[in-house]
Parts: sequence; structure tokens; C-alpha cells
Amino acid sequence: MSWAYVLELIKNIMITQTGIPNLAIKEVFMVGVAFFFLYLAVAKKYEPLLLVPIGFGIFLVNFPLVPLMGFSEHGNPELIRAFYKYGIEWEIIPCVIFLGLGAMTDFGPLIANPKTLVIGAGAQLGVFITYIGVLFFGFTLKEAASVGIIGGADGPTTIYLTAKLAPHLLGANALAAYSYMAMVPLIQPPIMRLMTTPEQRRIKMRQLRPVSAREKLLFPLIAAILIILLIPAVAPLMGMFMFGNFMRECGVVKRLSDTAQNALMNIVTIFLGLSVGATMQADKFLSWKPLLIFSFGLMDFVVCTFGGILTVHIMNLFLKEKINPLIGSAGVSAVPMSARVSHTEGLKADPDNWLIMHAMGPNLAGVIGSASAAGMFIAMFQ
Amino acid sequence: MNATAGRIFGHVFGKWWTAVILATALTAAPAAWAAFGEVIEKPVPEFSRQGDRISAKLIPRAKSTSVQIQFSAAGAELLDVAGLDFEKAERPEVDVKNFKSALFVIHLGDVIPGGEAKVSLTSDFFISSTQFYVFNETLPQSWIISDAANLTLPDRMQELVVTVKDGGPLDSDGKVDGRITLVGGPRDSFWGYALGTLFIRFFGIFIVLTILMLGMIISGLFFQWLARRKVAGVDKTTADGAFQIAKEKAPPPGVRMDPAMAAAVAAALHLHLAGAAVSPVLKPSGSAPGSWSLQGRAQMMAERLLVFNRKNH
Repeated sequence: MSWAYVLELIKNIMITQTGIPNLAIKEVFMVGVAFFFLYLAVAKKYEPLLLVPIGFGIFLVNFPLVPLMGFSEHGNPELIRAFYKYGIEWEIIPCVIFLGLGAMTDFGPLIANPKTLVIGAGAQLGVFITYIGVLFFGFTLKEAASVGIIGGADGPTTIYLTAKLAPHLLGANALAAYSYMAMVPLIQPPIMRLMTTPEQRRIKMRQLRPVSAREKLLFPLIAAILIILLIPAVAPLMGMFMFGNFMRECGVVKRLSDTAQNALMNIVTIFLGLSVGATMQADKFLSWKPLLIFSFGLMDFVVCTFGGILTVHIMNLFLKEKINPLIGSAGVSAVPMSARVSHTEGLKADPDNWLIMHAMGPNLAGVIGSASAAGMFIAMFQ
Repeated sequence: MNATAGRIFGHVFGKWWTAVILATALTAAPAAWAAFGEVIEKPVPEFSRQGDRISAKLIPRAKSTSVQIQFSAAGAELLDVAGLDFEKAERPEVDVKNFKSALFVIHLGDVIPGGEAKVSLTSDFFISSTQFYVFNETLPQSWIISDAANLTLPDRMQELVVTVKDGGPLDSDGKVDGRITLVGGPRDSFWGYALGTLFIRFFGIFIVLTILMLGMIISGLFFQWLARRKVAGVDKTTADGAFQIAKEKAPPPGVRMDPAMAAAVAAALHLHLAGAAVSPVLKPSGSAPGSWSLQGRAQMMAERLLVFNRKNH
């Protein structure tokens, strides 16, 4: 055995079996991006439950030669590719998250004041404005729809729709959605103040009527019948959402409801975050598209907030009992963050004005509205 | 207004990284425009022949499911149909986005030299405004709108019928040789579709949620009526019971009750019956709530907030 042979062996091992010689600058950059999102999650506590696994997913897949997002020689998916394939490509995880969300949701405020459903529809304005806006930048119709839904401020819906229509944008769309959802307390208040007068912000709304357990039990059934009949394409999301809520309200499957709300939700969140983060490999992610998506995502949130408040102003023209327009911004979904923002802004205008329960109505309507918008888009491309 | 705008800017763009992302994206927009193609949505038709008809199965642009287009010919023999990459026919006057399905090269034979033949394309993917555009690179203006008839058939099918003259402008080989080569594809307005669907679907959400709202209002009224009935039933029982008790304990006729005792009984009855109904909490008008009430209310609402304090969504 000669020295030349040993050197060649070492060289071959270095090139084919270690990552160091294969490390490119773009991968180092993506590791930096991963650190940035981990920083936001850990230090700033911006949606940590999602941004920690997403950030770590980005971190892991951007090392060279890692067997995580590829396929083996026999065609079997590697570790995170398997999470992605069976969780997201098969559209399972977003629906399971909707199941958990349904089990967590108390529809009482929405049932007590069904008028707030219209606010949830008005707050989808940004979804459609963004959809048209990105078309001017050369996005395809499917891509435009997946970017537009970011404004719905509903992470699982964004992931579900993007995985279906434009899977190559999944990472950027999910990151934009969750980042801006975390920034709702920064984005919404200035728009809310701009669109309302101090008198309007002080409007006091009547105490919501009590909702009986039987009414809450029947709500998921009635809502599922109406929504799925009108938009069958939304059945996977809405069906799971209402099933989760039915388990919660029926009271006879407390263990299942508890599992859906906690253990199951936490498990799928880990796989969801890792899978989404892992789609952001340097060679796929580093382009102008994600930057445009982040810009339009911000605009989307702004227009959705505007749309929700505008809807309340229009409704107030016809209503005897006026609605406080601050709750309009809660129509963007982002449960319960945006409802809390409405409440906080209301307290600033009048320390005796408690809007939280009133804002939960449009907030929940926003979830139904954004899922409906997603269903509309899916139906459009069928 | 200026102050508010300043606050908006401060809030939203005060984060340096948001501003950097936005600025970079805006300056990058023209480059981005050019960078995004429709390549990811390129339709790849698969052809199959059934007798004198040829079918193309393809996934058009902006669709997730496949569609079928049937080709047939009258006054000629349909020799074959093939797909054509749009890049080969790309000209400034046309936009690939308007051609949702592929471009086709259709070969016809057995045409009377110099005569006409009709080519039909039938699909439920076409709509009544779909046109057929023809590409002929031998002409100075390569793209021509054919005067294709758009016929509505049963089962939501539309048929485009293009009349082509052997050696005419629609015949790409340009020769009077009994053979016709027709190159082109069905065209729909991309922006018409995009804007149309925008309005339809946005108002569609209003319609869906309004129907749900009506359903909930109706069911809410029903449940409130049930609740009122139940409460009324309880009151009636109580009143009946009280009447029965009063009747049993009533003194024999002719015995007069002491007026003070009667007043006490009346007051007791009133308090009892008034206690059955839930009286609304009255807020004294014009007076600010005390510090203890504000603190209590804040504590109560903070506890309610915890119910909605979830982070996963």
C-alpha cells in the first residue's frame, strides 16, 4: 500500500462521505436563516411551537449529503421525506391539526352572535386582492391562490392549500403565514386606529346571550351540513374541524377530545414543522419568489384587517345595535391572537369595554371563512 | 392623519428585517417577473385513437385534474395529432397564459386539392367564449384568430369547428397538395378568468357564510324559544304549587286575617316569586366603577382569556 493510495482513499472519503468539501455558501446562508427563525422563536417567542421545528428543519436539511429529504436507492423516502410524504403530501397533518383545533374551540361566542360570520367573510378580502396582485408578478394561478391564502392567517389551511396547489412554495408560504400571525399585535393596531374614530372604538356591545350545551352540540352538525353541501372541496378540513368540535361538545368522549387537543396535536405539530422546514433546501428556496411571498403576505394581512373592519362599518349602516369596528380585525382568523388585539385596543379606548368575547365571534368566523376560501380555490382548479 | 401614518410605518416597518425584505422584494420585482415561467404547468398531452377520432388527455394550466379533448375531421381524413411546445410558437403578440391547454399540430389528408375541410375539437373544458388561435410561421403575422364556430353540445360539451382551406392561411404547409397542417390551440382570456373568478369566489364566501348565519339564527331562535318554554313551565308549576298550598292553608270562610299578617304573607310571596326570575344586573348610570369592581372584573376576564389562550393555531 503506497502513500498515494492512502491519500487517494482519504480524498475519496472526504469528498463522498463527509459534508465539509461539499458545503456551499448558499447552504451556509440557509443555516443562517434557520438560526434567524430559531432566534425569533426562542428569544422573541414568535409562534415558538411552530417556528422551533420549522427552524430546526431548515437547519438540518441544509447540510450537504444528509439523508433526510431524498429517496433511498430502493425508492424509499428518507426520514423527513417520509414525514413530508405521508403527512403533508397525503394531506393528513393539516386535517389532523384541524381536528385538534375543533376540539379546542368553543363556538359559543359565534353561536350567540351569528352576524359576526359576515365579518369573517369580509376579512378574506386580502386573500383575493393578493391573489390578483401576485399574478402581475408572473405567478401562476395556483401559486397565486396559495400565496393569497396566507392572509387567511390560518397555518394549517395555508399548508393544506399550498401542498395541494403549489408544493414548491410550501416552505415560504408556511413561514410567511406563521411569522405574520406572530406579528399580528404589531401589524393590526395601526390599521385599526386608522380606520376607526375614538367614538367608534368606544362602542359597547350587549352582553352575549348564554348558549345551551344542546345548541353547541348541534352547531358542528349544522355547520358541516351547510358548508360541505355548498363547498364539497373543503370537506377534509371542515369535516375534521367539526368532528373535533363535536367530540368536545358531546361530552361522552372526553379522552378522545383530550387526545385530539393535546397529545395528537403536539405530535403532528412536530412532524408538520420539521417537514415544512425541510422543504427549504438552499437550491430550492433561494430565489426571488420567497421574498415576494413575504412582501405580499404582509400586504395580505393588512388588506384582510382592512376588509374585516370595513365590513363592520358597512354592517353598522344597517344595524340598530352597532358593532364595535375593532372586532372586525379579528375576522382574519389567527385565533386567538387577533381577538386579543381587538380587546386590547378596545380597552385603550375605554378601560371598561371588554371586547374579547365579542371578538371571538369574528375570529372563529375567520377560521371558517379562510377554510371556505381554500375550498373555493381547490374547487377552482379541479 | 400624518401622525397615524407615521405610527403605522413605525409599527410595521420599524422592524429592520421586515423593511429589508420588502425593499429587496420590490427592487427585485422586474427580475422576478422574468424568472417565473409557466414551465411547471406545461401541459403534456397523451393521444389515443378510437376509429376516426383522436383523443388528447392532458392536465391544462391552472388545473389539478386532467381533461379530454376529442379531435375529428369532416371533408378530410384525420391523420394524426401531436402536441407542440409553446416556446416554438412564442411571439410578442401572444401570452402563453391564455393557452391553458397545449398547442396542437393536426395533420389532415385526403383533402380535395384547394378544397376545405372542417376540424372539430370537443371538450367539456372549453367554454362558450373559447376561441381557436392558429399559428402559421410562414405568414408575416404568425398568429391568426380562426373564425372557429363554438357550438354548445349536451353534457356541458363545447365544440370548436375550424374550417381550413388547403393552401390557405390556416394551412401551415402553405401548399395546395391535398394535405393540411393546422397548428394552433384553444385560447381563453387569462385575466378575464382570473378577475371573474376573483369576484365570484369572494362573494361566494359571503354567500356561504350568510347561509350559515341564517341557519344559526333560525336554530338560535328555536333554542331560545325552547328555553323560554322551559322557564315558563317551571314558573307555572311554581305558581300552581303556591296556589294549591294557599288553598289548603286558607282559613275557613268568615275568619278574617290580621292585616299585618296579610301584608307579611304578601311580601313573602312577592319576594319568593321575584326570586325565581333572574334580574339583570343594573349598572348605575353616570358613575365610574369602583377600583374593587374593576379589579374583580379584570381577574374574571383574565381567567376567561386562559380558555382561549392556545398557541398552536
